[in-house]
Amino acid sequence: MNTVQIDTGRLSEIGYDSCVASCGNFMVLDHTVMESHCNIEGLVVLPLKQAFDAYPHVREKLFFNVVPRDSSDTTLQAAEKEPVGYYIFVEPGVRIEEPLQAAFLFGETGSRQFIHNIIELGEGAELNVVNGCTTATHDRSGTHVGITETYLGKNAHLGYTMIHNWGHAMEVFPVGAVSVGEGARYISNYVGMTEVRKIATNPIAHVASGGSARFYSVIFSKGDSYFDTGARVILKGKDASGEIISRVVSEGGTVISRQLLSGEHAGTFGHMECSGLLLNENGVIHSIPELRGAHPDINLAHEAAVGKISREELSYLMTRGLNEEQARALIIRGFLDIKIEGLPEKVQSFMDEIISRSIEGSI
Amino acid sequence: MSFLEITDLHVSVEGKEILKGIDLSVDMGRTAIIFGPNGSGKSTLMGAISGLPGYEITQGSITFKGQDISGLSVDERSRLGIGLSFQYPPAIKGVRLRTLLETLSRKTPEKIMEYAQLLNLSGYLDRDINVGFSGGERKRSEVLQLMMQMPDLLLLDEPESGVDIENISVIADGLRIILEKDQPISKRKRSAIIITHTGFILDYIKADIAFVIMNGHVLGCGAPGEIFEEIRRDGYSKCSSCFAEKFCEEYKGAL
Repeated sequence: MNTVQIDTGRLSEIGYDSCVASCGNFMVLDHTVMESHCNIEGLVVLPLKQAFDAYPHVREKLFFNVVPRDSSDTTLQAAEKEPVGYYIFVEPGVRIEEPLQAAFLFGETGSRQFIHNIIELGEGAELNVVNGCTTATHDRSGTHVGITETYLGKNAHLGYTMIHNWGHAMEVFPVGAVSVGEGARYISNYVGMTEVRKIATNPIAHVASGGSARFYSVIFSKGDSYFDTGARVILKGKDASGEIISRVVSEGGTVISRQLLSGEHAGTFGHMECSGLLLNENGVIHSIPELRGAHPDINLAHEAAVGKISREELSYLMTRGLNEEQARALIIRGFLDIKIEGLPEKVQSFMDEIISRSIEGSI
Repeated sequence: MSFLEITDLHVSVEGKEILKGIDLSVDMGRTAIIFGPNGSGKSTLMGAISGLPGYEITQGSITFKGQDISGLSVDERSRLGIGLSFQYPPAIKGVRLRTLLETLSRKTPEKIMEYAQLLNLSGYLDRDINVGFSGGERKRSEVLQLMMQMPDLLLLDEPESGVDIENISVIADGLRIILEKDQPISKRKRSAIIITHTGFILDYIKADIAFVIMNGHVLGCGAPGEIFEEIRRDGYSKCSSCFAEKFCEEYKGAL
């Protein structure tokens, strides 16, 4: 029995609240599955180990598949552990509006937490997952490794939102890979608004014909945080499309933002936008946008900018009666405001709330 | 003392003196027009009154509602009741027009929509401020923001530049509401200074007095229509002597 005291405020900060309506819940504390509920027919939410027994193809075909076992030292280490995490499956044609909530808590100071999740959506299925990762209290230190393998069938749709709320002494290594089937849509939202020692992640999506993968990330770097984040979209089929939008605000620490769009088939198109806002001289934003074309009939483009808040914009807002602090907050809030098409209102509102709270606490 | 009293105002921009001793006053409820050729210092005067950074007052004073505002920041002046419509308002990516309007005012969403409709901007409320706006849309957005502020002193820097005739009329509708032009002059509480190049705005907003600024000095003042006619007929250079013959105090005494 895990005896770690959980600060329930930390759970609500990542959007995990058992009182909020959702289609299912899943919670892990350290290496123990604390909750695993499913409220809707056509949806399966199970601890991964149980899923291995109930659905043999999960171990045989989905486990360490789109994320190869030997893709890094981290994955090799994870492969030696007993898998702890969820298996989520939505039956073909089942469309679920209420988001599924999952929380991964780190409670045991000094330890290494290994999580392995698998999401599988059948043809035409739809689901939104809100994942929150946090420490049980702010001062916990340790390492979190989270592998997520995602498989979207033909014309399926997954919205996958990840909220990170780690403590300042945590090192975090999420490893994500997605197989986007024909005509399927994958939307990833990443929100990292709290100080963390290190986060390194660079998820990849392989997109089949007519499919799309969109990655949106919002990062507010503080203190001595070190973010090495990014996204890669590999457009493998005809008319596959990708979009990567990254917004980084820094008042300290280092953010490396890597993006790759690779067009490997005729008719593929993609757009990338990486913007960084430096609030002072304490932080570094290193934006690395990459475009790779392997067929002449593709359309890939990117725009990138790193700079400070414009004095002219500040003055403009101040002529309207806002003081400098209010004007800066409005501009930063606007900079981080990514309205994502296809994201449920509930998830969008929650993201907006987290971002606003973080800005208010900083400026 | 006047509502706005500017005395011997000298203003420098990047070390260069632009205004070289401006004396000008505007009474409560009155609308003043400022004419002047390019580079005469009109926009510098607006920047100095509103307190924008970069406009250094080296001599003289600006008194508003009886208070010397020279030392106040731009937002303090705004909260005191000074509102500026920019000649070239910047675009602010990410900040929606509606968000700013709601931040500026406690007006209900219905009132905001009513004013937005008046200015043909109802479809622009959820767009980023001025991003992708045409010149006319920017000017209408300026007036809409000012309608949220309802400032006691309105500073309008070329409100009609880049705006077609039809939209000048729309802008003027908004300005007339702010300036309470439907009220008898004795009951109006809000004043305005309007910079205009073309004078078109005069067809829609009745001004009470006009000043002519050249080379950082007020050259003269008088009836707006009369002065505008002289400028149209003779231009600024030929007319400099005739403006000088018109003494502001005399004109103001006759108002």
